[in-house]
Amino acid sequence: MKLRAAKSRTADLFAATPTRRPNVSAPVSLAPQALAQPSLNRLRPKQLWYAAVFPAMAQLESFAAPLQKLCLHAHAFTSFVSIEPPNALLLEIKGSVKLFGSLPQLLEGLDDCWRRLALQAHSATAPSTLAALWLARAGRPAQIEDVELLPTHLAKLPIACTAWDVERLQTLRAMGVTHLGELMRLPRAGLARRLSPALVRDLDIALARQPAPRRAFVRRERFRERCDFETEIEHVAYLEKALEPLVERCARFLRQRQAGIQALQLKLRHREGPATCVQLGLASITSERRRLSDVLCQKLARLDLRAPVRGMELISGSLRALSASSLDVFAGFTGAGSRDSAPQLVERLRARLGEDAVYGVCLIPEHRPEAAWRRVHELRLTAAARVEEEVIDQKLPRPVWLLNEPLSLRKPELLQGPERIESGWWDGKGVARDYYIARHSDGVRLWVFQERQSKRWYVHGVFA
Amino acid sequence: MCCVVVKTWMPRDTSSIAEILADARVWKLKDASAAPARPVWSTGKSSLDARLPGGGWPTASLIEVLLDDTGLGEVQLFLPALVACQRSATSGSGDAPWLVWIAPPHEPYAPALAQQGIDLGRLLVVRPTTATEALWAAEQALSSGVCAAVLLWLKGTDDRWLRRLKLAAEAGGSLGVLFRPERHRFESSPANLRIIMSQGSPYTRVDLLKVQGGRPGPVDLGGP
Repeated sequence: MKLRAAKSRTADLFAATPTRRPNVSAPVSLAPQALAQPSLNRLRPKQLWYAAVFPAMAQLESFAAPLQKLCLHAHAFTSFVSIEPPNALLLEIKGSVKLFGSLPQLLEGLDDCWRRLALQAHSATAPSTLAALWLARAGRPAQIEDVELLPTHLAKLPIACTAWDVERLQTLRAMGVTHLGELMRLPRAGLARRLSPALVRDLDIALARQPAPRRAFVRRERFRERCDFETEIEHVAYLEKALEPLVERCARFLRQRQAGIQALQLKLRHREGPATCVQLGLASITSERRRLSDVLCQKLARLDLRAPVRGMELISGSLRALSASSLDVFAGFTGAGSRDSAPQLVERLRARLGEDAVYGVCLIPEHRPEAAWRRVHELRLTAAARVEEEVIDQKLPRPVWLLNEPLSLRKPELLQGPERIESGWWDGKGVARDYYIARHSDGVRLWVFQERQSKRWYVHGVFA
Repeated sequence: MCCVVVKTWMPRDTSSIAEILADARVWKLKDASAAPARPVWSTGKSSLDARLPGGGWPTASLIEVLLDDTGLGEVQLFLPALVACQRSATSGSGDAPWLVWIAPPHEPYAPALAQQGIDLGRLLVVRPTTATEALWAAEQALSSGVCAAVLLWLKGTDDRWLRRLKLAAEAGGSLGVLFRPERHRFESSPANLRIIMSQGSPYTRVDLLKVQGGRPGPVDLGGP
């Protein structure tokens, strides 16, 4: 009863702004055409989506790998391919129509592609992603280029093709809605309240009233190249020479893809036994040949060769997009005589001295002196705004050196103090100490404390 | 006020005073009060500033501090300079330069450094396992041009390495500070400035052993 009342009220219909258009008196049966947005009517759609649904794939347990393989095939037709789990692909083909001559020719090519792969595919073309997908799921090979025609085509589709969850579909069926056309005639606000706002949004996307950005499938690739030597190499210095062309090719590979890497692996093969693996990490994403070879050479210089090397293989980590900050074109021109960037320096030091040998320090808001700082290994290497750290306001002097463990000593000559620090009872490492600045007999200024319970004296820091 | 000291001179037929001065082998000793070509950073002690050419620690140079034990206030002499060089660069280009501490004898205590005004986000501590690695790291850091100052603690090293460090400091425009034991005082050193710190009563004694463009001798630092 309520439903029928809603159906008869055109003002509440699934429309953007029907009340502002008094000259349009849309009869109920013609509602979908009349309610398309006028601004979009006149425009040619900017996108054209091709959806391909592979019914055979619905039964597969893991759909990711086969779909990714299909993406590689689809890349022959357009650069923008998106995966719609579990068994569909979405291709943006607006830009490819001209390249392939016409839309029918392009579609013919795509159909041919699936046929050669012996795959049964339902496909459809529409100006919006969801419309194309729903049409393909319903098995209607429609080719819609005009946004205006979308509502008529969508109205005939059963609601099952939307792949909304079962519960929601049952609710809709219980309301007497079996086709999208009936759904589109329902009032927006009521739909959003009774079912979900997501459903209304999906309808908007399908009718191309709302943009729906999609994530494009990007092929995951990495640089991997090997070279074998005619003679066995025993010296690291020769290895460095032999590595140069490999690094050069790696850098070119990255440059062509406008990508950088943050990890690199070098495998050295021996006549027998397992290959020696050299792993290295870079402090920032890079594609520069000089930096790559720099770090590799530092690592190699430290390497102890177990056996002569017969061949080697250079494998890059996953490719990352080069951000503007990692392009250090002007790094050499910023300051007088500056040739390196901070990431370069840090990775060179780490390559030779080890990852843990290079670190920073930071503050921790904590009263216990030994817990008021810690080492940091993830350094802020690029120019960043200075982070204001939360600091316990300390007016009392602190020593430059802190001993790892307090050392016991006899009562020294006290210069300044006491400063009572009592804290940490909650985590079992409680301290109750009186701190003083003291002078050792040999003139060294120390930071000492007296344990309040045992009355024993310890030195905890040195004023250097 | 200019005085020409000729170290080894091959006499030539035509040599005017201008040509002699243009020769790279001629060292020019200037008055300590003359304005220095490069900026200097204050030591925080006016009596020490007055004795150094230009009135502070010279940048793009190697400073050698000879002392047997830590705890004589030796780092304290450099902290104002470290803060000043970080601050001055920040106001200019926007990216603060780095401070690198190589092989410090104990853990640098972050709250103390923050209290003095050092930007901890731009402090790097390096712990090499051998002296050679420490020297290599110092050379890399000094010549990189991204570090304002490099502090290095060593037990011993030779003259050749010090020369490399000095050249690296000049190339990178950084301040290199080397702390090593007092027994090296009689060895020759290419450092621009050599200082001996020793225990005195009641306060630390500071002796300038070698000052390029200044006068060596003891300095009265005053209170702690």
